[in-house]
Amino acid sequence: MTVERDEVLTADPAERAGAAALLEIRDLRIRFTRGGRRVHAVNGLSYRLDAGQMLAIIGESGSGKSVSARALLGLLPSSAEVSGSARFEGAELIGMPEREIRRRRGRDIAMVFQDPARSLNPTMRIGAQITEAIRAHSGIGRKEAGERAVELLKLVRLPAAERRFHEYPHQLSGGMRQRVVIAIALAGEPRLLIADEATTALDVTTQAQIMQLLVELQERLGMAVVMISHDLGLAASYAQHVVVMYAGRAVEYASAGRLFGHVRMPYTRALLGAVPLLEREPHAPLPVISGQPPDPAAIPKGCAFRPRCASATGRCEQAPPFSEHEPGHWWACWHPAEDPPGGSGGGGGGGEDGATR
Amino acid sequence: MTAVTAGRHRGVGARLFASPSVRLVGNRLLMAIPITLGVSILTFWVLNLIPGNAAQQLLGADATPEQIRAMELQLGLDKPAPLRYLDWLGGAVTGDLGRSLVSGQSVAGQLGERLAVTGELVAMAFVVSLVLAVPVALLAAYRPNRLFDRLSMFVSVTGLSVANYVLALVLVLVFAVRFAVFPAIGFVPLSESVGGNLHSLVLPSAAIGIPMFCLYTRFLRGDLVDQMQGQDYVVTAQAKGVGPWRVLLRHAFRNSSFGLITVVGLNLSTLIGATVIIEQIFALPGLGQLMLQAINTRDMAVVQACVVVFAVVAVLANLLTDLLYAVLDPRIRYGSR
Ligand SMILES: Nc1ncnc2c1ncn2[C@@H]1O[C@H](COP(=O)(O)OP(=O)(O)OP(=O)(O)O)[C@@H](O)[C@H]1O
Ligand code: SF4
Ligand SMILES: [Mg+2]
Repeated sequence: MTVERDEVLTADPAERAGAAALLEIRDLRIRFTRGGRRVHAVNGLSYRLDAGQMLAIIGESGSGKSVSARALLGLLPSSAEVSGSARFEGAELIGMPEREIRRRRGRDIAMVFQDPARSLNPTMRIGAQITEAIRAHSGIGRKEAGERAVELLKLVRLPAAERRFHEYPHQLSGGMRQRVVIAIALAGEPRLLIADEATTALDVTTQAQIMQLLVELQERLGMAVVMISHDLGLAASYAQHVVVMYAGRAVEYASAGRLFGHVRMPYTRALLGAVPLLEREPHAPLPVISGQPPDPAAIPKGCAFRPRCASATGRCEQAPPFSEHEPGHWWACWHPAEDPPGGSGGGGGGGEDGATR
Repeated sequence: MTAVTAGRHRGVGARLFASPSVRLVGNRLLMAIPITLGVSILTFWVLNLIPGNAAQQLLGADATPEQIRAMELQLGLDKPAPLRYLDWLGGAVTGDLGRSLVSGQSVAGQLGERLAVTGELVAMAFVVSLVLAVPVALLAAYRPNRLFDRLSMFVSVTGLSVANYVLALVLVLVFAVRFAVFPAIGFVPLSESVGGNLHSLVLPSAAIGIPMFCLYTRFLRGDLVDQMQGQDYVVTAQAKGVGPWRVLLRHAFRNSSFGLITVVGLNLSTLIGATVIIEQIFALPGLGQLMLQAINTRDMAVVQACVVVFAVVAVLANLLTDLLYAVLDPRIRYGSR
């Protein structure tokens, strides 16, 4: 398993382009109708993810990160209209019958949510909640599932796993609860784990521990991870690839290293400006993302970032296509930034593998 | 004794008292004392404000003032009100509820009989309404806003907007007068005939139970839908690949049941008011009827006893609610961190 994964990691992204992706999303669109108003939450999102890789999705609040992730598991409220394509190992997830997608939940794709205090059932014992997840996918008996559950709790490094098995969520700390939620997600041995701001509600130390755990599990289990975050710094340190979302679309996609060395899209640059962790040229003006994120009920025509963009011209009234302008580097912008002169990548990323752990 | 030895040699009593449930019961029972005391004083005071007393009621409108005076002396009504209250209280705390001023019967004996009737009425209404409300609410919440949900919503809103006594009259008109399937009034004791007893209680318990059913259905359906649509743990359960019925029953319903217990507990205390009216309409020899009669005849000892029973029942209902919470909710059972 580890061997396979290393091959995937070391292979050049351009070479792998022909291989079938684990997850391939094309032109995903999601809208809600709320109080007679159309809310365009996702507007033509595209990205791909290979087996065993970690992809970070970043963007401001309301840019459609969570909604697009939940759509993959058919977990949106019935008021959502979903179109476009999302293929998991070639199987189309959008419009898949409820029965079939339910069979895949937890087994193909599992999810970890933001708030561990709320994502566990307060009235059920930890053990029962994991066992339920195990038994949802395999016909194994209660006892055997219990043993497997304890194994999972050990895998996620929950201290005193046997004892915790019999406890209730409120008896655990936030970090421990998130480990339990991860153990539940691992119960079906998924090939893709979506962590939707899984560390946002935790303190900085616990956040790092949980991220370490996710990376370790990714490597040990050969599992792909989509980490959703506001935090570019976090994405830079852990993910191999990064998708930047704006107003329900992908606006830039590249390997983490490539992105931080060669930012093209003005919005990503603005986001980087807001990340103190990354080096900037001395005395460079601190970019501020001025203005409001677009109202998803009234997204501007053309480039959605135009009202806030310093580089905007008349041309930007036409929507720029999201395409691969340089090998492995996609963006949607008419006026991409040049690389800073004299530097081979000014960002904190560095190498093409992008993982500065 | 030092803290260490105290901890090591704690007696059974101390250990019992350390249990949160036992403490809860203790606290509530202690609280029941001032509540019943307050209620009985209030009743005594109000009944003394309304003109007329038992002597006048017993002798009728034609009695001369001398006759009334003599009767008052005989019944002890000549003493000042606070003294009479203390007399009654002294008896009550030693378990002697006194005798009815009107019939001379022992109040305790009368209460027992009446309480059985009211208890049966309430129990029947309560069990049937809850047993029906839970499945209806679950089915409605399984597919919100679909036909079944809308139908059950319509029924429960209608049922809730009809007053108890109106419902009773409608039931009588339809099932006793028009179709004559159930008796309009009267009561068959359980000792006489079990079937007859249940038969005689169908309409009265329906009159009490239907609004309760509507209330429980509405509340539970709403809470279930809130849990299903708004709670992250539900999404976690769904994301595991667990089926929709299981998510509803094992996850949402379990959490909704706490709210339901609260509603049922609160409702149980307000039920007392309903039984007074319904017993009157259906001529059931229950506690409510006894109390109304006693108020009319200014039969102080009986009124007091009824009021105290009602107060104790209300306190016990609340206690039971909290105990159920403590048993069912692990956050209380195991304490919070
Ligand atoms: N059930 C819903 N009905 C209507 N609109 C919704 C619903 N769920 C989400 N939206 C809207 O879709 C948009 C995208 O929401 P989403 O939760 O995906 O944002 P996000 O990028 O995850 O933001 P955050 O960083 O705050 O989690 C928001 O404008 C939100 O208001
Ligand atoms: S397309 Fe135009 S408006 Fe949009 S980001 Fe690029 S320069 Fe700015
Ligand atoms: Mg989100």
